[in-house]
Amino acid sequence: MKNPKTSAARSSQIAILITAAVLMLLISGIQQNYARKEIRKNLERTAEMELIIKSIDVKHSLEDVTLALRNRSWEFEQFLPYPDSLFDVTRRIVEENPNFAGCCIAMVPNYYPEKGRLFEPYTLRRGEVIETLQLASEEHDYSKNPDFIIAVKNDSSFWSEPYHDEDDPNVRLITYTFPIYDAYGDMAAVVGVDLSTEWIGDLLNAKHMFPSSYNILLSGEGRLIYSPKGKNRHKDVDQIMGLINDSTAKHTVSASGRVTIFSFVDWEDRSKGSLFYYTPQNLGSWRIAVINYDDEVFEPLIKMSWINLLLTLAGLLVLAFIIQRSARNLSKLQQATLEREHINSELNIARKIQMDMVPKTFPPFPERNDLNVYGSLVPAKVVGGDLYDFFIRDEKLYFCIGDVSGKSVPGALVMAAGYTLYRSLAGHESNPSRIMQALNEAVAENNETNMFVTMFIGVLDLPTGRLRYCNAGHEKTFIIGQEIKVLPAKAHLPLGAMEDMIYTTQEVKLAPGDMIFLYTDGLTEAKNEKHKIFGLKRIEAGLQDCIKNESVTPEKLIQTMTDRMNGFVDGAEQSDDLTLLAIQYTPQKKPLILYENLTLNNKVNEISKLNAFVMSATAALNMEKGLANQIKLAVEEAVTNCVEYAYAPGTNGTVNVVIEADDAKIRFIITDTGVDFDPTGVHKADTTLTVNERPIGGLGIFLVRNLMDSINYERIDGKNILRMEKQYFG
Amino acid sequence: MNTNITEKDGKYVVALEGELDTAHAIEVEQAMQPLHEVSGKEIIIECTKLDYIASSGLRILLGLLKSAKANDNKVVLSNLNDEIKDVFKMTGFIDLFEIK
Repeated sequence: MKNPKTSAARSSQIAILITAAVLMLLISGIQQNYARKEIRKNLERTAEMELIIKSIDVKHSLEDVTLALRNRSWEFEQFLPYPDSLFDVTRRIVEENPNFAGCCIAMVPNYYPEKGRLFEPYTLRRGEVIETLQLASEEHDYSKNPDFIIAVKNDSSFWSEPYHDEDDPNVRLITYTFPIYDAYGDMAAVVGVDLSTEWIGDLLNAKHMFPSSYNILLSGEGRLIYSPKGKNRHKDVDQIMGLINDSTAKHTVSASGRVTIFSFVDWEDRSKGSLFYYTPQNLGSWRIAVINYDDEVFEPLIKMSWINLLLTLAGLLVLAFIIQRSARNLSKLQQATLEREHINSELNIARKIQMDMVPKTFPPFPERNDLNVYGSLVPAKVVGGDLYDFFIRDEKLYFCIGDVSGKSVPGALVMAAGYTLYRSLAGHESNPSRIMQALNEAVAENNETNMFVTMFIGVLDLPTGRLRYCNAGHEKTFIIGQEIKVLPAKAHLPLGAMEDMIYTTQEVKLAPGDMIFLYTDGLTEAKNEKHKIFGLKRIEAGLQDCIKNESVTPEKLIQTMTDRMNGFVDGAEQSDDLTLLAIQYTPQKKPLILYENLTLNNKVNEISKLNAFVMSATAALNMEKGLANQIKLAVEEAVTNCVEYAYAPGTNGTVNVVIEADDAKIRFIITDTGVDFDPTGVHKADTTLTVNERPIGGLGIFLVRNLMDSINYERIDGKNILRMEKQYFG
Repeated sequence: MNTNITEKDGKYVVALEGELDTAHAIEVEQAMQPLHEVSGKEIIIECTKLDYIASSGLRILLGLLKSAKANDNKVVLSNLNDEIKDVFKMTGFIDLFEIK
């Protein structure tokens, strides 16, 4: 199935590429537009310059002609008296100027009476041949020729409109007409010199801006003086001429205002071009034009566009590659971040589980004066699996400290499960090794990851100070009294190491004021920067220093040890959980104001004796009747239990009842030598059952628990010893 | 400890006097034995003069209640003193019995 993340990533990649491409094209387009405008501006300027220069060239050339002709006017004058010499004159003129196509001298009518009205010596060039003749006749009456008429009338020299050669329609001619004068200053004749416009054209088309560019020359009447043959792209220049002669055609004007600009589309090949024409000031009314084709004008731009496009594509490819790369890196980064966050949250869960389980309120038993407990758990960055716990049930302190071998969530889970099981077992089992046994079975079963737990369980009987304990591979426990002692511990394996490991209970008697100190290897193995460990010796040294202080409390002890460890570690990173637990036993023995002792046989009828015994004690203490009755009931139930069940049916046995009282509390100690039975381990009766569900028995202990403040059981030397206490005063 | 059983208007009244401790439990149980054999009757346990009851006593009452259900008898406890009521409350017996 397509991963929605990758297709979303892909479409965003594509979006980036498209955006980049669009941007690049946009920029490119703007650049191109600008370049185009610039080229056009340039073209205008260049065209204008070309037209001006070329028109000057044309003017100069024409002037050369007219000047040359004018310089010969003395010659004309000289030969005027000799009409026949004029033929040679014309011939000479044509011979000397290869550009001249013809030359005629049209005499003013009747100038030479002997020659008749019309006399026109004429030389023309036909290819290689030069022919001289007299052109005038009645059929060819030059006096009717408009140019002759104008020349005579206006006494002016001028260039004619272009016209086709009669003999060769492909040749265009233009005639310079000028009057000549005799010695008296009168006009004698009008000379006409014909030039092929090709000659002018050769000037114009010598050099061009672009390969296909060309110039044309038009007369003031819009007739073509010159257009290049064969070189121009048109078959004819009608389109160009049409544009120039059409004043309504759409055109623009150059910046200087002198050049008129047309854009056109070639009729034949549909190519675009531009036409610039200019009316020079001193070429009469002649107009000179230059034609350029867009594909040549903008050729460099087009080339540039292609290069641009290729570069853009290349750039986009590179961009695509980079995006791909960075996307991959990004997703790797995201992955790594996700994993780290995942791990972090797992660690947080694990830490939360761990910290939730540990008792956090200190002092934990403010109402008691025989016990002081302080504990501290500082988790490492990577959650370890340390745990400690303590609670009081039936006047015994159940405490434990443990360290799971695995770290993080699995370790925390094992610890949590172990803790729950431990609490459940300790709810009715006061023998540490039995608890340890059950825990071991639970951890060892299905222990594929070979997780193991070091553990120390202790049960301190508060009335007597008897400490029973079991150690499963855990660190050495210290008893701090007048001196530092190590608690002797059997070498049991940690939990989970071996499924059928047998655990045994050891015991020791605590003296008033003794303190138990427990810790995990977070303390022993604490490392400093030089990788040295704190070690047992330093622990012992620290404890030694503590006992020098008379009034050391569990909190002070743990604070001192923590400070020492911190001083040693000196800033190096904590690699394992640091757990410390200190328990101080401070029994207060109050002076007794009552002490009574009674021994009964295990017969039901002895109960009356018992009740009387109890009532006399409560009376001696001036106890309020209701309270006394409650106490009587509790004691009766407890003793009845012994009487009925401690000994096998038919056997005789005794039950001993001791009553002690100080000024606030009354205490009953019931002893029998019967079968090992812990009434405090019995599961509580369910008082919510219906009539039919209620069992007949089980109420005795229930009543004892509910009526008395505390009960406590010990089995010592084959004796069941049940204590129960009630505050009767204060 | 006295157990007096009287019959009145088809009802049985059991007056318990004294302390129903374990020592006296057996005799009270024996005295109440006939009540396990009647049926369709109302049995009133009169506790005005009952000073004390232990778990063995509660056991007896529970046994009576069970057989009463089987025999279609009705059991009512009347005039329990406060201490005994407390014990009933503690053990949940207060919800089992009809108490007046």
